[in-house]
Amino acid sequence: MIVAERKPFDEIKGMVAGYKKVLTIGCGTCVAVCLAGGSKEVETLNAELKLNFGRDKIEFGSKTLERQCDMEFLEELDEIAGDYDAFVSMACGAGIQFLAERFPDKPVFPAVDTSFIGVNLDVGWYEEKCRACGSCVLGLTGGICPVTMCAKSLFNGPCGGTNNGSCEINKDQPCAWFKIYERLAAQGRLDQIKEISPPNDWRNQIPRKIIQPGYEERVKALG
Amino acid sequence: MISEGKIAEKSMDMIEININKDVLVVGAGFAGLDSAAKIAAQGYKVVFACKDAELPDSGDEFKKFVESGMVEIMTNTSLDDFSGVTGDFRATLAKGNERIKKNFGAVVAAPKYSFEPLNADYGVSLNGKVISQTRMEEILADPEEKEKLKAGDGAVFAFFNGLARELDPCSTERALRSILALQDIENCTAYMYAGNVKVASRGVERLFTEARNKGLVCFKPQEIPVVEQNDDYVKIIIQDPVIRKDIELDPDYLVIDELMNPGQENIETAVNLRIDADLDGFLPSNNVHRFPVNSNRDGIFVAYSPNDAANVALRVKELLGDGIKKVPMDRGVVDEKRCTICLTCYRCCPHGAIFWDNGAAVISTVACQGCGICASECPMDAIQIGTFSDDDLNENIDKAVVSAENDSPKILAFCCKNSAFEAAGAAEKFGIAMPAGFKMIKVPCAGKVDVELVMRALVDGADGVMVAACHEGNCKAEKGNIYAKWRVNEISRRLEAMGMDKNKVIFTNIASNMAHEFADKVNDFALKLKS
Ligand code: SF4
Ligand code: SF4
Ligand code: SF4
Ligand code: SF4
Repeated sequence: MIVAERKPFDEIKGMVAGYKKVLTIGCGTCVAVCLAGGSKEVETLNAELKLNFGRDKIEFGSKTLERQCDMEFLEELDEIAGDYDAFVSMACGAGIQFLAERFPDKPVFPAVDTSFIGVNLDVGWYEEKCRACGSCVLGLTGGICPVTMCAKSLFNGPCGGTNNGSCEINKDQPCAWFKIYERLAAQGRLDQIKEISPPNDWRNQIPRKIIQPGYEERVKALG
Repeated sequence: MISEGKIAEKSMDMIEININKDVLVVGAGFAGLDSAAKIAAQGYKVVFACKDAELPDSGDEFKKFVESGMVEIMTNTSLDDFSGVTGDFRATLAKGNERIKKNFGAVVAAPKYSFEPLNADYGVSLNGKVISQTRMEEILADPEEKEKLKAGDGAVFAFFNGLARELDPCSTERALRSILALQDIENCTAYMYAGNVKVASRGVERLFTEARNKGLVCFKPQEIPVVEQNDDYVKIIIQDPVIRKDIELDPDYLVIDELMNPGQENIETAVNLRIDADLDGFLPSNNVHRFPVNSNRDGIFVAYSPNDAANVALRVKELLGDGIKKVPMDRGVVDEKRCTICLTCYRCCPHGAIFWDNGAAVISTVACQGCGICASECPMDAIQIGTFSDDDLNENIDKAVVSAENDSPKILAFCCKNSAFEAAGAAEKFGIAMPAGFKMIKVPCAGKVDVELVMRALVDGADGVMVAACHEGNCKAEKGNIYAKWRVNEISRRLEAMGMDKNKVIFTNIASNMAHEFADKVNDFALKLKS
C-alpha cells in the first residue's frame, strides 16, 4: 500500500488561512490503513483547525471517500463541491491530483506527505519495500528489492562497499546484496546472482501509464 | 453535577447462542493431566494434546476417563494453527505429517517450564553430592535409589532455597515436598538454608509447618554460606550471628534450588493462542480483574501449578455450562461499509475478540468485553460500542460542555466506569467540593476515549479535558489505560504544535476507592487552568 504521514499543522494552517469554507476529504483505502488520512484523521484535523481558527472564521466540512484515485468515487463530491471554496485532501499524491483534476477551478491542498510504497509491520509502523522502478527484478534477487534496500539502488551487486553484511553508508543498514546472497544461497539458486540485469532507464521520465493487457481494446474504445 | 454529564446506559439486548462444549488441553506441564481429569469430571469431553511421546504418570482418575472416552490422548502432537473465539475455537493439531482439525469451546494451556539450577549463585558445581532439585525429585521417584538412601547411617540432606535471590513459592513448595518425602524414609534427615521462605501459595504454609514438626532444621544465614566441595565430600559453613560462631554441616547431599524459566514452549503457546505473558514471560499475564487461571482471552485458561487444575475446571464449567450462552447483541459492531480491513482493531483488541471475514472485520459478541479500544483506534470510525456509541458520546460531550458553568474553568473528565467514575460518585456522596465547571462523561474503559472525542470537547469550549483511567497493570481491558495515555500525550503534542497550552489535556490514574484523590486532582487541574 501507499504510506503517507500527516503534514505538520502549521503547514496545513498556512494553506487554508485565506478561505471561508473548506472541505477536508479523506481517503478510505491506503492512507486510512496507514492511519494518516481516513475519516478519523479527517475529523481530528478539522477539530485542530477549528480550535486554531475559532469556530466562525472558517467553516470546515468533512467527507471521506472510498478512494480518491477513482473518478467514480470523486463524483460523490460533485453535489457538495460548490459549497466550498477550497479542498484539503488527505489522500496520497495520486489521489490529490485526481481530485484537483476533477475540480480544476478549486484550490486543492495536501494534508499528508506521501512517503512510500510499503508494508504494515504493526499498528502505525510501516516499512518501505518498493520504489516502483518499472522493471521488477525480485525474481532474480530472492524477493528482496535492491532498488529500495540498496543505498545505490544497484540492479547488479553488491558493490565494493559491502562490509560483513552491512552497507558502507551505515553499519546498522544491512547490505541489500548480502541479504540477496544469503536468501539465494539458502534456496540453492545462488547462480542467479551472476545474471546481469540490464540497467533501468531512469532518463527523461514522464508519468508512466499502464494498460493491463486484457483491457487494451477497452481503453482504445474510450479514445 | 455528575448525573447531568453522564450517559444513561441503555439496556442491551441479549441473545442466546450455542457454544461448543469440548475442551482442548494442550501441553504436558504439571497441571495438564490433572486439569484434563477435572474437566472431564464435570462432564465435558477433553482432548489432551502434548508434544511428548509419553505421558508422565497419570492418576487412576485420569485413566478412568481415558477408558471411558471422555479424555482423548494425542501424544507427539502440537498445535499447528489456531483461530476462532471463545465457545468456537478452531484448532489444527499436527501429529507427524497428519493435520487434524477439531473445534473446541475452551482451551487450557499447560505449558512445560524448564528449570535452571542456581549452583553458580553459590559458587559450587553439581556432582554426585551437590545435586539439583530436579535430580532430587528423580531420586525420590526411583524406588531403587530411594532404597539406597536407607543404607548405613542413612542420609543427611541440606537444601538451599532462595539464598542469593528471591524465588517464588513454587520453588519453596518443591523443596518442602522433597523434604517431607525424605522425612518418611528411615534414617533420613533434612536441613534447609533459606533466604525468605515463600509460603504465599495455597498449602505451602501447611507443608512448611508439617516439615518443621517432623524435624526439619532451618537456617536463615545473613550471608551466602561458604561451601567446600570435592567429589565425595561437601561442607557448608555459616556464621551464627547470635553466638558469633561458625556452624558447619557436612551433609551427604546438598540440594540446590532452581529457577523456573518460561522456556520456548511457553512462548510458542502464547503466540499460537494469542494470549499475553506477564513480565517474566510466564502465562497468563496478571490482571486483578481476572481469576489467576484466566488469560486475557475469554475461553483460554492457563494451568500452571497443581492448584490451578481445580480452578480451571470451575472456570471451564462456568463458561461452557450446558452449551448455551447469553450474550449482549451489540457490544461491539463493525459497519462493514466503512471498514477497510486495515487490521488495526484486530491487532489492538486486548481480548482477541476480532477476526475478519468477507472483506470486513468482525467482532465476536461472545468474546468482546466492550472496552472500546478497537473503536477508538479504527481509522474509519467503523466500530460502535453498544451503549457508548460515537453519537451518544458526542451528544453528551456537547451537552456537558454547554451546561458547565462559565465562571470557573470548564473541565470535562472522561471517566472509566471501573475506577474514576466510581471515585467521582463517592466524592459526590461525601460532599467534596468540585469546581463549578466540572462535568464528566462515563466511558466503558479509558481505552474508549479517542483523540476525536477529546478534540471535540476542546472545540466545544472545554478549557481542560481530563482522561481518568485505572492504574497501570489494573486495567480490566489490559491495555485500555495505556492506549488512553498514549492518546493524551499525542493530543498534548498536537496542541503544542498549534501553539496552544499542551496542559489543557491531562491523563491521570485513579482507583475506585480514591474519592478524595480524584477530587484533589480535579481541583488542582482547575487551579492550573485558571492561572
Ligand atoms: S488515493 Fe491514494 S491513498 Fe487513496 S486509495 Fe488511491 S492510491 Fe490509495
Ligand atoms: S525491483 Fe524493487 S523497486 Fe523495482 S518494482 Fe521490484 S520491488 Fe519495486
Ligand atoms: S480498525 Fe476499523 S477499518 Fe480497520 S479493520 Fe477494524 S473496523 Fe475495519
Ligand atoms: S470493544 Fe474491546 S474487547 Fe470488544 S472487540 Fe473492541 S477492543 Fe475487543
